[in-house]
Amino acid sequence: MAKKSNFITLKPVESSSLYLRRMEEKTKQGVNTSDVDELEELMLNINSYDVRKTNENEPITKIPHSLNLVGFHDDRTNTDVNIAPKLPARNLKPNTNVSDMYKNTQCVRCDYGFEPHEKIVNTNGELWHPQCFVCAQCFRAFPEGIFYEFEGRKYCEHDFQMLFAPCCGRCGEFIIGRVIKAMNANWHPKCFLCEMCDKELADQGFIRHQNKALCHDCNARAKAASLGKHVCHKCHSMIDDRPLRFRGEVYHPYHFNCSSCGIELNADAREVKSRPGFTANEMNELYCLRCHDKMGIPICGACRRPIEERVVTALGKHFHVEHFVCAKCEKPFLGNRHYEKKGLAYCETHYHQLFGNLCFVCNQVIGGDVFTALNKAWCVHHFACSVCDTKMSQKTKFYEFDLKPTCKKCFDKFPAELRKRLKKAYEANPKKNSAAN
Amino acid sequence: MSKVRKIIDEAKESKNPELDLVDKGISSFDEIPSLLTMLNLTRITLTHNRISVVTPALANLTNLEILNLFNNQIEELPTSLSSMPKLRILNLGMNKLSALPRGFGAFPVLEVLDLTYNNLNENSLPGNFFMIETLRALYLGDNDFENIPPEIGHLKNLQILVLRDNDLVQLPKEIGELARLRELHIQGNRLSVLPPELGNLDLTSNKSVIRMENNPWVAPIADQLQVGISHVVDYLRSETYKFVYGRHVSANAPAPPRLSERTKKSSKPKP
Ligand SMILES: [Zn+2]
Ligand SMILES: [Zn+2]
Ligand SMILES: [Zn+2]
Ligand SMILES: [Zn+2]
Ligand SMILES: [Zn+2]
Ligand SMILES: [Zn+2]
Ligand SMILES: [Zn+2]
Ligand SMILES: [Zn+2]
Repeated sequence: MAKKSNFITLKPVESSSLYLRRMEEKTKQGVNTSDVDELEELMLNINSYDVRKTNENEPITKIPHSLNLVGFHDDRTNTDVNIAPKLPARNLKPNTNVSDMYKNTQCVRCDYGFEPHEKIVNTNGELWHPQCFVCAQCFRAFPEGIFYEFEGRKYCEHDFQMLFAPCCGRCGEFIIGRVIKAMNANWHPKCFLCEMCDKELADQGFIRHQNKALCHDCNARAKAASLGKHVCHKCHSMIDDRPLRFRGEVYHPYHFNCSSCGIELNADAREVKSRPGFTANEMNELYCLRCHDKMGIPICGACRRPIEERVVTALGKHFHVEHFVCAKCEKPFLGNRHYEKKGLAYCETHYHQLFGNLCFVCNQVIGGDVFTALNKAWCVHHFACSVCDTKMSQKTKFYEFDLKPTCKKCFDKFPAELRKRLKKAYEANPKKNSAAN
Repeated sequence: MSKVRKIIDEAKESKNPELDLVDKGISSFDEIPSLLTMLNLTRITLTHNRISVVTPALANLTNLEILNLFNNQIEELPTSLSSMPKLRILNLGMNKLSALPRGFGAFPVLEVLDLTYNNLNENSLPGNFFMIETLRALYLGDNDFENIPPEIGHLKNLQILVLRDNDLVQLPKEIGELARLRELHIQGNRLSVLPPELGNLDLTSNKSVIRMENNPWVAPIADQLQVGISHVVDYLRSETYKFVYGRHVSANAPAPPRLSERTKKSSKPKP
């Protein structure tokens, strides 16, 4: 359990002004205030007041009803104090003599008597003209026969809620039934939720953390986070020392043992994929550092530390994904295409910036295969004889003419004197003019 | 001729935007009139034909990016070519051009201009020739230039400059402003010195080429060239060379004589 100081208790029923006002009224009427059963009166819900005369000797009224209760919380037990509803004692006393009833009774509201065969409303033994059985606030009949009795007056649902019922701090709707009073507001039980995980807090209690209502687990997590620590996914308490990461969660290392030698683990333990290249981390296993090192785990070519997660293999080395970076801008490739040159890897931008692999013809960065020759590069589509535009392959023999490739057919069509000059220049400088390759 | 028509018809049908008419004996665009209706074409290659006149209507092919007229008999070009909105590569090598039309430098996106093996010199160029700022390669080998106008410094995107086998007696110092130049061919000319500004260029990296053989270099340059190009470039950057160059220019020595073997160039008009 969390410390007392963090535990905000739900307020006792006595702190409800509604309750107090009601109790005051009851006291005036000489009703025992400790009788919690009386709470049920607060929200008497009569579904219908259908009155009909069936037989001279039979009771003429039938008032089906149900009861709803307003619940208050007790701070010590944190549970409802309401007791199962009882029917009011005065409810529905059957009249054995109909004519007696007419003679001796009058409408509670207008004090006039009832005419024979006139419809009568009977609630808890009180009799009313139907036109007198109306809301104390709006003087209209009760829609669907539902009314709420408070301080001796009856109200329609709308006016009762407007005048007396609390509003939910989350949804803004009136609260009928159980009211949760917490965080200086009223809530439906379904609306009083942990601000981090949305769990209902009505029954499990809550902890105030930085003016937010949180469940116990989230409070532990929030507290740990504010201290820069983690909460163990297994025991839900804060991890004071270095945590152990395993299958995407954080734990106290001592909850686990090495998958190989069985020793209790410390934070140096390594999470290892039991199947290389398998992405689901449910396959991961934990090993102590000694057993892990014996397993031949790849070492990152950049940081020289073992690679427990995804391995990138390039340039004849292994790398952590985040350590395989462009040699120029040092941004990780993260699966993007990289270009290798002289044992270094480059991003596309910097490879082309440094090595100029733009196609000589289309002047676009060459995405696919690159033909490089004569201090130039070509994309697959544009590697062709510079004279006749006939496409060439790697195997095509060509002549060099002003550092442009020239097919044999075209070269043979050159004027003899030019061919002679080119040949002479080539022979004078065979290394520099490295032609036909 | 029906063979050519068949090729064009097939290209029309397949909507292939690249048309090859290499070595087909074509001597005039009049023989291939339907070519001018193929507005989807992006490349036309007419290498090894006998075309002498380029029809101005060719400029109506507004999608054309590559026009290859290498090894024809072209003596004159229409001005309209320069207005082609997408033309990136224009190959006019091995023709009989002795002049370029007025306003030739108006190409909006030209990147590669090949004028190798023609009869051009500095007087053949229209005033706006060096306004083609998009140019990244300029091939002027096997022509008759004795001088290159200083306006060449405007070609800020130039990466390749070929002046091989001309009659150049000097280079403008503005070549030193072509910061992106990585290929310079000046072999086979009448150069004895180079402007020290050439030392500004990065011509010794493994991505760069400078060819300068076959010139009547002053002794210190010739000596460095014996050891290697990088030594020449280092020498051009030295204070010693600036002094040598200054003295050479002020001496105003007569240009070295023409080399004899190029006078037989086949594109030369027959005397
Ligand atoms: Zn009402
Ligand atoms: Zn609510
Ligand atoms: Zn734990
Ligand atoms: Zn172990
Ligand atoms: Zn690493
Ligand atoms: Zn980069
Ligand atoms: Zn290309
Ligand atoms: Zn060819």
